[in-house]
Amino acid sequence: MTRPLPGTEASSGTPSPAAESLCQEWYEAHGVAVYSYFRFHVPQVDVAEDLTAETFLKVIRAADRFDPARGSPRGWILTVARHVLGDWRRRTRLRQYVPIGALSDLVFEAPSPEERLLREEEVGRLLDAVATLGERDRELIGLRYGSGLDTAEMASVLGLSEGSVRTRLWRALKRLREVMMA
Amino acid sequence: MTQDMEIPDPLKDLDASLRGVRFQPRASLLPEVQGRLRRGESSEGVAPLRFDWLALRAIAAVLVAGVGVALWVGQRNRGITMDHCCYDLDGGGSTDDGVLVVTRGGQAVRRIAVYEDRDSSRSLTAGDVVRFDRGSELTVGDTTVPGMVTTRHCCLDYDGGGPDDDGLLVMGVPPDQVMMVALYEVRPRQPSPHYPLR
Repeated sequence: MTRPLPGTEASSGTPSPAAESLCQEWYEAHGVAVYSYFRFHVPQVDVAEDLTAETFLKVIRAADRFDPARGSPRGWILTVARHVLGDWRRRTRLRQYVPIGALSDLVFEAPSPEERLLREEEVGRLLDAVATLGERDRELIGLRYGSGLDTAEMASVLGLSEGSVRTRLWRALKRLREVMMA
Repeated sequence: MTQDMEIPDPLKDLDASLRGVRFQPRASLLPEVQGRLRRGESSEGVAPLRFDWLALRAIAAVLVAGVGVALWVGQRNRGITMDHCCYDLDGGGSTDDGVLVVTRGGQAVRRIAVYEDRDSSRSLTAGDVVRFDRGSELTVGDTTVPGMVTTRHCCLDYDGGGPDDDGLLVMGVPPDQVMMVALYEVRPRQPSPHYPLR
């Protein structure tokens, strides 16, 4: 994105049409990535929705601070999302993931309800295992597989080199595999 | 998701499983966000749990500080009673006199009583005779009585403040009259006449 960002609020305090337009543009482009990132971290659909909404409210209100020269909107939005998640964690102290039966938002073109149920159980076990990992490992997996960031974007969001991101992700996957096989 | 990263073979199955996990937020979330943006709602207002740890910490800090101040004030105001026996304080020739000192926190004197330990209990008891008794104010009896003697006893922890750095000044007429009793604190390594009377 190279065009200048619009002001987010009119003088009355209400958002300008440009801000609303930007909100829609960014949400349509990155909403699923942000939401999926949260779903790799929090068990409840409604909490993930709240966190997603909070993230977009923050980014739209602070849009004039976004510098396209310093990175992509997706990386910046995910950085905000990480802060939103961190704030939420500090408030809730939630650590345990209990996904079974709470995966109504899982995308799966299942030919039958039984197959969908099996798929939900499979994903539930996977996310259960992710939830047992350490904070750093979960962060890497959430950004990679939840948000779909590539290595360069992950490096930018996490403030690491790309090589370091690769190494750490492999290690995180290795630990996840050990948990799954235990 | 891009395939920009080479995944080691043993992890490829897991990588594929994770890639297959996709979530989709409900369709009404965008209009909801836009509505909240239009209403000017604060982004901080959507927290799923409203428990404010910062506020709790602040309250805890205030409570701890309050308890600390209360303990400190309590310590300062705590009455300490020291009963020393037995010496010849009244000049009678017998070491049968005791002094009872009540201080506030080992500092300010509330009461000094000199007594004769009649029942040899080595403390002020009901059977003893109180020769002199004063409160927090320094009081002096009739000093026109002839034969008055001043004696100094040093050093003990008369006031309960900790170290044995207190002296006791007694003015009286032997063998059994006491006109004035005062405590003074000896300055470290300065056994000089500049005794701060207590």
